[in-house]
Order: sequence, then C-alpha cells, then structure tokens
Amino acid sequence: MLASVDPQRLKLTDESGTRGTLLGCRCKDCQVIIFGPATFCQSCTSVDLESIDLASHGTLFSYTIVRIPPAGWPGQVPYILGQIMLPEGPHVLAEIVHCAESDLRMDMAMELVFQTVKSQESEEEKVVYKWQPSQP
Amino acid sequence: MTQFQPGREVVIIGVGLHPFGRFPDKNLAWLARYAVVEALKDGGVTWKNIPVAYFGHVYYHGMSVGETALAQLGLTGIPIINVENACSSGSTALWQAFWGITSGMYDMALAFGAEKVPRGPVTVTEEDSPDRYIGSDHMMAGYALRMRRYMADTGAPAAALAQVVVKARENAALNPYAHRTSKCTVEEVLNSRLIADPLTLYQCCPTSEGGAAAVLCAREALGSYGLEDTRAIRIDAAVLRSGNYNGRGSDHSAFSPSRTEPAALAAYEVSGLGPEDVDLVQVHDASTIGELQQLESLRLVPQGEAWRATADGRTALTGDIPTNTDGGLLAMGHPFGATGVRMIHETVLQLRGEAGERQVRNPKVGLAQCSGAGDVTTVHILSK
Repeated sequence: MLASVDPQRLKLTDESGTRGTLLGCRCKDCQVIIFGPATFCQSCTSVDLESIDLASHGTLFSYTIVRIPPAGWPGQVPYILGQIMLPEGPHVLAEIVHCAESDLRMDMAMELVFQTVKSQESEEEKVVYKWQPSQP
Repeated sequence: MTQFQPGREVVIIGVGLHPFGRFPDKNLAWLARYAVVEALKDGGVTWKNIPVAYFGHVYYHGMSVGETALAQLGLTGIPIINVENACSSGSTALWQAFWGITSGMYDMALAFGAEKVPRGPVTVTEEDSPDRYIGSDHMMAGYALRMRRYMADTGAPAAALAQVVVKARENAALNPYAHRTSKCTVEEVLNSRLIADPLTLYQCCPTSEGGAAAVLCAREALGSYGLEDTRAIRIDAAVLRSGNYNGRGSDHSAFSPSRTEPAALAAYEVSGLGPEDVDLVQVHDASTIGELQQLESLRLVPQGEAWRATADGRTALTGDIPTNTDGGLLAMGHPFGATGVRMIHETVLQLRGEAGERQVRNPKVGLAQCSGAGDVTTVHILSK
C-alpha cells in the first residue's frame, strides 16, 4: 500500500495511489475552513472542529519557477510551484505538473493530481498531491 | 488584542555595529562582542553598569552563546537571555529590553544580535517534513509567489521592483559597514541569476555575518549613571506580534504580508504618531517585494502604490519616505540575529544627525519594522 505524503493533508481512497482528497478542518463556531490538521480553530481558537474533505480543484493564485531547490527536494529542477486557492478559501502550495510554463495564466482553473515520489534517503514511496490545469 | 501600556520613558544612548559581510576568521562571540563594545563606547557606558542583556541569534553555535560572548568583557553575574525569533531575533531582544526598563524592572539594558550563517537557501521546517516532498519549504519561492501576484494585481513593472535594489545599493555605497556596496542598474538586477521566477539573485538579500548592539536606559536614570541625554533617542513604541489568521488557512510566510499592519496600527496608537509623522523607515527587505509590501502594510503609501513611490524616487534618501537608508537587508546583508538591532542603529544615527553621507534631511521620527519567518513582526518607533 502506497503511503500518503501526509495523511493529515491527503487522504488516499484506494490502493493504487491515484485517488484521494485533500483534508481540512471546519470550525463549527465560526465556519472558517483551513487546509490540513488543526486542534484549535486558526481564526477563533475554538476546539469544536470537524474534519472535512476539501475540493479537488481551485484557481491559480500565483506560481513561481523554482530554480534553486529547497533542501531535500527529490524531484527535478527547475520545477513549478503553484499557489492554488480552493473554493472554500484555503490556499494550497504544491508542484504544478503537466503544464508548460508558457501555458500558465493567473487565476486559471487547476485540478488535483497525484504522483508517486521516492524519498532521497530510503526506498520508501510516497503519494504526493500536485496540481495540473483542469481537464475539460 | 490587549495593548501593553508603557510606563516611564526609555531612550537609546549607545549603538554599535560590526560590519556585515563574510568573516571566516571571526566567530559568533567575536562579532557580537565587537558590536557591544562599540555601543558601550558610543554611549559612554561601562560594562559593569549593564544590569541585563538580551542576545538575538538564530543558528546554533553552542548553548548560552550570549554568556560566552559577554564573558570576555568580564563576568558580572547579570541575567543574560538568548533570544530566537528567526530574522527578528535582534529586534525581539530590543523589545524585551524596552519593556523591562519601561515597566521598572531595571534602569538600563543591553540588546544585541549577531549571526554566522551557512550559505544556501534557508529552511524553516524540520528535516523529513512532508513539505520537502511537496516542494513548498522555500522562503524565496514564497516571496516570488507574492511578487507575481502583486505585479498582476497592481500592474507594477519588473523595473520598479528592480529599482528597489538600485536604491539599496546606492545607499550602501555610502556605508562602509555594508555587505553589497557596488551600485547596479535595473538591467543588471533583472538579468542576475533567477532564483524562483520572477525573483532574481540581486532581488534577494545575501546571507551575511555581522553584529549590532544597542544600550537602552530609562531617561530618569541617566543622571544616576553620569550620562548626558544630548544624543539620547526616545523609543515611542515597541510592538511585537506573531501571526494572525489571514483567511488563507496556512502559516506559510508567503501568505502573511499583512501581519505587519496590526503591529503598525498598535505602534501608531501607543505613540500618538501616524504614518504622516514618519520621516524615515527601515523595513524588512529580504526581497524587493518585501520592501514594497511592508511600506503598504505600514500605511506609508496606499495599498498597491509602493512600486510607484519607488519608481518616482520617493523612497530614496532625498525622497519624502526615505526607506532602508543604510542599504537594508538587500545591500547591508542579513545576519539574522543582528538585523533588527542594525535597523535601530541606523535610525538612531539618522535622528542624531550622525549618518554622514547618508543623512536624511532633519528627521524627527524613524520607524523600524523587522519580520521573522514562522510569522513574527516587530515595529519600533523612535524619535528625537
């Protein structure tokens, strides 16, 4: 079974590692939704939170072409780092794949896609969430 | 949020600096101590009179390094506290010194910061974090994301961003303590090596080594130390804030340019001063977009207008909002622990009229804003 890069942010829904959803939390007191785990609401500090599935699509809020990689980056260089705004509000940073740099347009529709990435240190494979232009 | 209320008046009476750059033969304690000795001399203060010291630094060079650095000046048994708040470690040390004095805990304090840094990209998260597979743990990439969004929203041309560097180098060329003192053109800035598009090398601050120090004193206690107040500079506001929820649901520094604004408003309120009173400003220009967005968050220019103010020369030494008058992080360089205190050093020199060729015309109020990764911001307002 392939492992999610972070089970608190990405829930895999089958064994192939190709289907899953982003996870977040919704505060029952103030309705704010954030990406990933939380014990306290990031806005009002309430503990009355529920885990929710987040949308698998969003719009391209910004992007950059990373030419000097961060420490531990196992992928190719350069790579495109995208900042995607989900309809629920949170922004999610991830690599943009299956898109030439010249085809990127600010605010374009993006959808979630998964790739298997091997760790630099071990033979472990992790499923990582990434973004690609929304397919029609 | 509850606003801390200051008590008695606090002034800065001495400032000191070790040049910023690369010093392979000087260790952290040496850089720190050099700046401290300069500050003591500048203020006419003897080491044995200092009752407390706060030392800001980020990278680990052994435990209780502040104690090690100051031991060479003499073991006086005083409380020495080591402070880490990322790039605002030094300004946090100063914040602590201010509040201790104003609340009456002690009459005088030393705040200093220094750094020796490894080369290469800076990381905030721990090893084996999932972010390393995701590729998001990259401070300069975070700035690049902000830059592209800002340019799309405001129509700012790349040349306006580059002008921030041109201005920084012009100021640093007048500053023997700076790391990058060679002037450059807009073309050279834009053609320098791409780090994360559209951010180029010259648009990022170098990681540097250096030290800075300041001695603070209660104004009413100056006489008891035999000190004059002719060169003393008052601290009108000292505000420190961590991240506020900003609607984007993440703690990435890339998402939080506005955390400065609540801190600035608190500083204006407690000081009774406003943006219109600020004669010069030092802001956290780790990258060019950082300078522009901080100017807007400080309300020194309207939202989306900082690029135009830069292009129009308003942020130059001769402009109406002189910004990063010693070269800032971009050209002074950025020894993490020292930067916050270095901003205070420059502000004090300017307000005293001792800034030499960099002197801004007759300033009365200076503001220093220093950020730290992981979401920290400090705002200090100083006046003559």
